[in-house]
Amino acid sequence: MNCQRFETVVSELARGQMMAVGQKTEALAHSDVCDDCAARLSDEQMLTLGLQSLASEMESLEAPREIEGKLLEAFRARTVVVPITKRQSHSRYWLAAIAAMLLIAISVVVFRWSNRQGDEPREAIKQEQPQPAVNNKSNEQLAQDVERPSVDDSLPQPSKPKRIHPVTLRRPNNASVANHATKEIATDFIPLSYMSAASLQQEGGQIIRVQLPRSALANFGLPVNMDRYNEKVKADVLYGVDGMARAIRFVQ
Amino acid sequence: MKLKSDVNDNDLLRLMLAGDEEALAALYRRRQGSVYRFALQMSGSRSIAEDVTQEVFLFLMREGHVFDDSKGTVGAFLLGVARVHVRRRLRAEHRLEPIGDDSEDDDLFMQSTTDVCPLEDLTRAETIESVRKAVLSLPPKYREVVVLCELQDVSYGETAEILGCAIGTVRSRLHRGRALLLAKLRPAEDVEETSSASVKSARCFA
Repeated sequence: MNCQRFETVVSELARGQMMAVGQKTEALAHSDVCDDCAARLSDEQMLTLGLQSLASEMESLEAPREIEGKLLEAFRARTVVVPITKRQSHSRYWLAAIAAMLLIAISVVVFRWSNRQGDEPREAIKQEQPQPAVNNKSNEQLAQDVERPSVDDSLPQPSKPKRIHPVTLRRPNNASVANHATKEIATDFIPLSYMSAASLQQEGGQIIRVQLPRSALANFGLPVNMDRYNEKVKADVLYGVDGMARAIRFVQ
Repeated sequence: MKLKSDVNDNDLLRLMLAGDEEALAALYRRRQGSVYRFALQMSGSRSIAEDVTQEVFLFLMREGHVFDDSKGTVGAFLLGVARVHVRRRLRAEHRLEPIGDDSEDDDLFMQSTTDVCPLEDLTRAETIESVRKAVLSLPPKYREVVVLCELQDVSYGETAEILGCAIGTVRSRLHRGRALLLAKLRPAEDVEETSSASVKSARCFA
């Protein structure tokens, strides 16, 4: 072992740390033959003794007793505070739940109110809308209307819109779909007076395309799409030579 | 019922965090000494040591759940917290001297290789006082290693955990710290012979 190598192990040697037996023997042998390294080892050993003396001198030192008291007091204060904070957190949850319920209730009320607002104009329009075909309705048809309360205008309209399938004109009892040549789909002419369909064709006249409120469909026993209640529906009115409306058909 | 003194530190900490006052008292009585002495040896001030001891255990009450037993012992954890608080206090009171370059430390390290036994003539009390002052005058990074390994008898491994560094770093800092201590403890007349000592050691290393 040389002096440089000795320097790397001298602290461990002086402190009595565990080291390889061979290394320790070599270091001690080197200190026997090298005065400088022997002095170095002696310094380190004296330092170790000094540090050990200091450590043993301070070993009995402890923190003052009052610190323990303060800490326990702080601990008790903390443990008292904890349930309060827990209660606060619970009350926060309750408040949040109540606020959420209020929000839901308000949103439901607003939603319903907005729906009603939407329905009111419909009803107003319904009342204002002229019903040209109805004027010419026969007693028989009026009787049929009475028998079909589900599509009567006087009944309250559902507030919630229902999902409506694509509108297809349901055939009346003896109506059949005609006019397949064009893209329009129309019902057969529905007589507005006591005339058969055949006589209507023979008599001739003039067909005028008009737009009627969709509620007019109900007067003829046809289904009404409530979602499109405010919309107009096309109709062909057959006028006779005398200018009186003879029949009507609805066009989609 | 099991006495609190028989319970290990980890369980005491767990009980304390669950609100057991006795567990805190037991843990404090078991660990306050090392924390207090470490703070005192690092700062040289009783008031700082008392404050640090209190702050360490207050921290344990508040943030004890951050302790991870897979990373070390409760004792090492407490000393690590104490180290942070001591450094903070010393920095606040401008007691920390700037850490010098390694080259400066090397000079002091070379001065220590003399053939004079510097502590032979000192009485025990003088020795203790001299060593205490010398330790306090060390740069912090060497002081904390010397305090932990020499005065607190903490193993290299635990010291590395406390300081958050490698064991090799602990070894090298301790070696250099001891060399600095020897240089500080040398009689004044020997300091004048620094140059000749350096030559001697250089010759010896060759």
